[in-house]
Amino acid sequence: MKKIFVLVLILAFGLILTGCPPRKIVQPEPVKPVVTPEEVKEKAVEVKPEVRPEVRPEVRPEVRPEVKITEQPLVKAEPKEVEAPKYIEEKVVFKFEDIHFDFDKYDIRPDAKPTLKTAADWMLKNPAAKILIEGHCCEIGTNEYNLALGDRRAKATRDYIVALGVASGRIEMISYGEERPICTESKEEECLKRNRRAHFVVLKEAGK
Amino acid sequence: MREKFKVQGSSFKVLVFVFLLPTVYCLLFTAVEAKVYIDISSPAFKKLPIAIPEFSGPSGKEISDIIRDDLEFTGLFLNIDRSAYIENPSQSFNPRNWSPIGAEAVVKGSVKEERDLIVIVSLYDVFEGKEILKKEYKAGRELIRPLSHTIANDIYKTLTGETGIFRSRIAFVAEDEDGKGIYIMDWDGNRITSTGLKGNIILTPRWSRDGSKLIYSAERNRQWSIYLLDFTSMTERKVFSSKGTNMAGDILPEGNDFIFSSTKDGNPDLYSMSLKGDNSARLTSSHSIEVSPAVSPDGQCIAFVSDRGGSAQIYVMRRDSSDVRRITFEGSYNTSPAWSPKGDRIVFSGRRGATNQIFIINPDDTWLTQLTTQGNNEDPSFSPDGRHIVFTSDRDGFKGIYIMRANGESQKRITPKNLRAFGPRWSPI
Repeated sequence: MKKIFVLVLILAFGLILTGCPPRKIVQPEPVKPVVTPEEVKEKAVEVKPEVRPEVRPEVRPEVRPEVKITEQPLVKAEPKEVEAPKYIEEKVVFKFEDIHFDFDKYDIRPDAKPTLKTAADWMLKNPAAKILIEGHCCEIGTNEYNLALGDRRAKATRDYIVALGVASGRIEMISYGEERPICTESKEEECLKRNRRAHFVVLKEAGK
Repeated sequence: MREKFKVQGSSFKVLVFVFLLPTVYCLLFTAVEAKVYIDISSPAFKKLPIAIPEFSGPSGKEISDIIRDDLEFTGLFLNIDRSAYIENPSQSFNPRNWSPIGAEAVVKGSVKEERDLIVIVSLYDVFEGKEILKKEYKAGRELIRPLSHTIANDIYKTLTGETGIFRSRIAFVAEDEDGKGIYIMDWDGNRITSTGLKGNIILTPRWSRDGSKLIYSAERNRQWSIYLLDFTSMTERKVFSSKGTNMAGDILPEGNDFIFSSTKDGNPDLYSMSLKGDNSARLTSSHSIEVSPAVSPDGQCIAFVSDRGGSAQIYVMRRDSSDVRRITFEGSYNTSPAWSPKGDRIVFSGRRGATNQIFIINPDDTWLTQLTTQGNNEDPSFSPDGRHIVFTSDRDGFKGIYIMRANGESQKRITPKNLRAFGPRWSPI
């Protein structure tokens, strides 16, 4: 046991001597002032292992090989062609009123229910019609969260109309978040609350 | 038996100790290798007084001014005004001209204009009276700013031991009469360039870790899709599309996968997918909103926004969706999380009173600090060295892009007054 122990010790010391990766030779030179005299006190134990050649003020180091600065020019990217939409806005037919929501909320308010009933009735009377529900938000908060919130508002609106008997396949949805406010005159609540809305668009097949 | 075990136990300890010793020994000696003039990681560091005389030759003033502005913005240097200089630019460096005015480092340079601009720069240590950096740079006239930023990076590296950010860029969204588009500019707001990428709505440009790609979302013809821009070929590719709202989150550090928010299954939830379009995985499934995923630098955690607790708050979970915890508890509306490059801080936008402000917090929900107070401030993200933050603000009456130090100091707008700009992201390198 003891023999093994001694052997391990010998091996280990061997490792100390050889085990480190090759490195710059640490010169046991005296400590040089490092920026301020106060810092020297703190750094007294530090050995400065710089292997820079000792340079006197009048002797200049070789100019290092030149660096050529280049940059890839930013050419314009061509946005991908997007498929033309299958349905476009039908402007002449029935005009639905917007419904409104409370700040950071997507539940249908009682004051919106009569409007949704009217919309559902119209949909049931015109079985060929398709509509798009746009979810919108006020500018408070961040775009991404507001896009998710607008999506929830559109979905809550659709679900309500579907519950009144309209086939869900006849209703498209999109969220515009805070990106398309209808009131931009001020940042007052009076204006902001008009932007927290679901908006209805009657669609027709493109080209017809 | 017991006795024997004990002996083995103690010799095992010795064994561990003697094998650990060389490791410790190696670590000790690597730690003291380079001389650092400013220890920027020390909370009590002192600003280094630096003198940057106007460079001689054509465009010398412009180049030396850019270098001065770069170094000054870091807050690590005390720029000594040129009017105080004793030594005139044509004289050779003499420490006795600089120590009386308090300079500890001096940058001198000369410019020649042939086909290219050729700049020779020297950096001097006044205490030791010696040159600690000398280098020659060459660049076409149109690259005068990247040229100057490269010189500033070398000076910064020599004095602090850290890599400078002066050649980093910022991707952002701006609006003109043709709609919204993605733009790129230098970190200091110069050289604003359109990528040509447009959409009715286009947002959330996010860099890949190597800076070679941008992922973003756009609404075109009532369709929300996620796109990838490859800077090497300058081509755009659609990486994900479905009915509903799809928003880019982040490219994972390995560069093959991305995370995003989508309502494809009915609810705003988080997903991951490869950039090739396969390996789709769902990361959250709740009845609430989950949006704005941001992956930690080590790729292990995802910060995101959820209203599962009744209001928009920031949460952190592991990449496999386990271990979800809420990290913001103050305020009823906290969004847009972004990680510091070391992963030790998260910056976000929080609503307080009637405005949105930028806050910084540790991922374990400690050390909440408010960084802004004026106007509405949103979309924060860190510089690659973690020392600065870029964000959107409307404090000057319109949306523009601002930068500040990570402690909230030196806030300034970097986009021009006539450009409505928002959604900035600092490049990772």
